[in-house]
Amino acid sequence: MLKSGTILTGMGVGLSSIAAEVFRVKRAASLPKAAKHSGDEKREIASLKTAVSAVSAEMNALAEKAGETSAEIFEALILLLEDEELFETASAQIAQGWNASTAYINAVEEYAEIFEGDATFQERLNDIRDLAKRVAASIAGISLGLDIPTTGRFVIVGEDFSPADTAQFTDAVVGVVTIQGGPTSHTAIICRSKSIPAVVSCQQAKDLVDGMQILVDPVGDRVVVDGQKSDITQALSFVAKSLNPIIPVRANIGSLEDAIAASASASEGVGLFRTELLYLSAKSQPTKQDQADSYAEILKAAPAGPIVVRTIDAGSDKPVPFLDMGHEENPALGVRGYRLIENYRDFIVDQLESLEIAREQSGREVWVMAPMIATYSEAVEFATLARKAGKFKVGIMVETPSIVYQISQLADVLDFISVGTNDLSQYLFAADRMNPALGSMLNPWQPALLRALEQIAIVSQEAGISSGVCGESASDPAFAVVLAGMGFQSVSSSRSQVGIVRQALSSVTKQQATEVFQAALTGLDADQSKSAALAALAAISAK
Amino acid sequence: MSTTKGSVTVLDPIGLHARPAGQIVKLVKESGLEVRMGMAGQQLAKANSPLRMLALKAKTGQELDVEVDSDDEAVATALIAQIQEFLKG
Repeated sequence: MLKSGTILTGMGVGLSSIAAEVFRVKRAASLPKAAKHSGDEKREIASLKTAVSAVSAEMNALAEKAGETSAEIFEALILLLEDEELFETASAQIAQGWNASTAYINAVEEYAEIFEGDATFQERLNDIRDLAKRVAASIAGISLGLDIPTTGRFVIVGEDFSPADTAQFTDAVVGVVTIQGGPTSHTAIICRSKSIPAVVSCQQAKDLVDGMQILVDPVGDRVVVDGQKSDITQALSFVAKSLNPIIPVRANIGSLEDAIAASASASEGVGLFRTELLYLSAKSQPTKQDQADSYAEILKAAPAGPIVVRTIDAGSDKPVPFLDMGHEENPALGVRGYRLIENYRDFIVDQLESLEIAREQSGREVWVMAPMIATYSEAVEFATLARKAGKFKVGIMVETPSIVYQISQLADVLDFISVGTNDLSQYLFAADRMNPALGSMLNPWQPALLRALEQIAIVSQEAGISSGVCGESASDPAFAVVLAGMGFQSVSSSRSQVGIVRQALSSVTKQQATEVFQAALTGLDADQSKSAALAALAAISAK
Repeated sequence: MSTTKGSVTVLDPIGLHARPAGQIVKLVKESGLEVRMGMAGQQLAKANSPLRMLALKAKTGQELDVEVDSDDEAVATALIAQIQEFLKG
């Protein structure tokens, strides 16, 4: 039994909180076990066909009830359900003697094997399995309804909810907690669109039972047993106390459209211009002139201030059509980013030379940096190439733990470094970024990451190298304050976050930012670090 | 019946996922034509099953070959262009 006040952590969806009674969903009936048919293949195929149409009609009805956001989801599900290939695979199972429902489930599992382990398809796989269960239930003549109360106020707690489940949510559903599922699960998408407070991926929720009172607190990424309104985590509001932020806030861009949109924001230049998007759709290597033209157009459109351009960051997981990168078992640990120099030196030199032409044409201040630098030698090699190619400030991305230990030796080589926190986390924690099960290790508030970042800020300063952060964490206003407190000299955020990050960095002094960072350092885990930093920020804004 | 060949590139940042797969199959079924798709340079399969499309596991940047059986080349070319649209994400 969970004690009053117990905190269960997950991932919050939405900004409002709700306190209500727990309702654990139970499936109405269990499905019959796998079985063979009595020998009449034709009858089994006919009964499968009828069941598929019945479930398809059921989905159509749910789609109408669910409204705009979900209609497309149901349309995609119906197409999967009525997939001819799937039906043929099921027919082959019937020919082997399995009855209609077992055959359909087996057919789905044949496809499941192909998709297993592929994070992108994991959520779809769950949807298809749910459909198979519905087909089996229809054949057996049982209901798979959720049996959700229609009156009262309840927080619905379950493993995860399929689109067909969420369509059955009644007005009595005022909150949702799921044990599985991530921020991109259907449950999360539906709750966001219906403004139902939810916490997903909350493993400890398995201990919640009917009748318990809980507070669903998405802003705090948590559920509190017996929680009250006063336990609600307040969404931070930042009141700018000065005109300028304590460190410049730049924008991340990848295309001309981004550059134009960023100019409309308050960003001071560009802190990360991802160049690979320009090459993704090219079938052959663009000429130097073509590249220079595209770059010049973007440089001219970019917001005033320096523009930090990252040379191509491709690999076998991010392939570029005209660079043959082959297949790798571990693309994140393979030949990617600057490591392409081995086989594609000419391409990287071309890129730098095109940028120099564009720099002259546009008259802008251009900084260039290389991604995935792991050694001193790579940094020196890139700096030499870049300085030979043009009048740039030259830097590197800090993403590998190894280069952190050599920053101090690069004092006379580099003008700046920029930290990519997502990749740095992935390599520091040996946790695949693409694996949703490891999400908590990639939380930027992890104490080990905070300490690694602090070390980077300190050694860069000692070496006289300007330091910035362009990873996703720099788009979180509270985290941006922590980064400034560590000593970083700029941050680069996603376009839509520039305004709020600027506001946060204008609401504190340098000294206060350091205090917020010191508070974050007291945490023993990511949640504690974050809460301590937010508490320190709240105390400052209350002054 | 002649065959028009073309190629498309997956530009969607999450690869060839359920939505574009569904859109392609719906388009193909509505056209009534036989359309085959597959990884560039490999065996192609009929584009009438969203699951088979998903099973290609085509990631962002992947080039796909497309073949359309139709005597009207303009229709076939327009169909390939529409498939490319679906893959833009």
